[in-house]
Amino acid sequence: MAGQVEPTRAELLAMAYVDGELDGAEREAFEARLADESDLRRWVAHYRALEVLARQMAPPEPSDHEWARLEGSPLHHSGNLLGWTLVGAGGATLLGIGLWRLCTDSSTGSLPRLAVLCLVAGFAALLALCIHARVRLLPLDPYRKVQR
Amino acid sequence: MIVVTTPSIEGRPTAEVLGLVRGTAVRTRHVLSDITATIKVLVGGEVTEYTKLIAETREQALDRMIAEARARGADAVLGFRFATSEVGRAMAEVVAYGTAVKLRPESGAPPGE
Repeated sequence: MAGQVEPTRAELLAMAYVDGELDGAEREAFEARLADESDLRRWVAHYRALEVLARQMAPPEPSDHEWARLEGSPLHHSGNLLGWTLVGAGGATLLGIGLWRLCTDSSTGSLPRLAVLCLVAGFAALLALCIHARVRLLPLDPYRKVQR
Repeated sequence: MIVVTTPSIEGRPTAEVLGLVRGTAVRTRHVLSDITATIKVLVGGEVTEYTKLIAETREQALDRMIAEARARGADAVLGFRFATSEVGRAMAEVVAYGTAVKLRPESGAPPGE
């Protein structure tokens, strides 16, 4: 086909690996390369995602069409955005007020105040680490496109 | 890789039983999906957030089982089953398992093909 680029050796190997066509020694050699080569990891994730999607080829149900139409409607979209913005703003404000009161309340001892601040800071650090790991793994997760 | 729920495949006798193969996956949705799903409980109907969660987990467990079967040199997995349980709130655990086997060549096919 005009304009179609021939797959590289790495792509062909990734296809064969995902399809289970490599024998034991070839598979082990390929898996050793996977640990070091990020391009190869991305190709494997891509072809695995195609394989997973191919298994999802059941015809759509009537509710799927209606659900897609609803999700695409401006009312649904703007309502969703407004709802989540209000929930996020309310939650963040409440958390901020709570922390502010804790820090400025003279009746609270400095030790409990420190403990709560450590708790909040520790939770924030762990959350940041989880988000970082998820963002790094997201392109390699072929299952996130599975619908049903 | 042939994966079937039956104990055998017609026309393809089992040459060697390689043993149990299984794949386990536990997945969760993010907290915003969980909140949306909780709100949907008020009105009923399909909770697509959790349908998607279970489907993702099922596919991942299936792939892990197939990967183990391939690593053992199997041609097929017989007696395939899914099992599910709840590990934690809003988490789905799926175990895919079956018996990995090597099959004899299809009848009529030359040996080694």
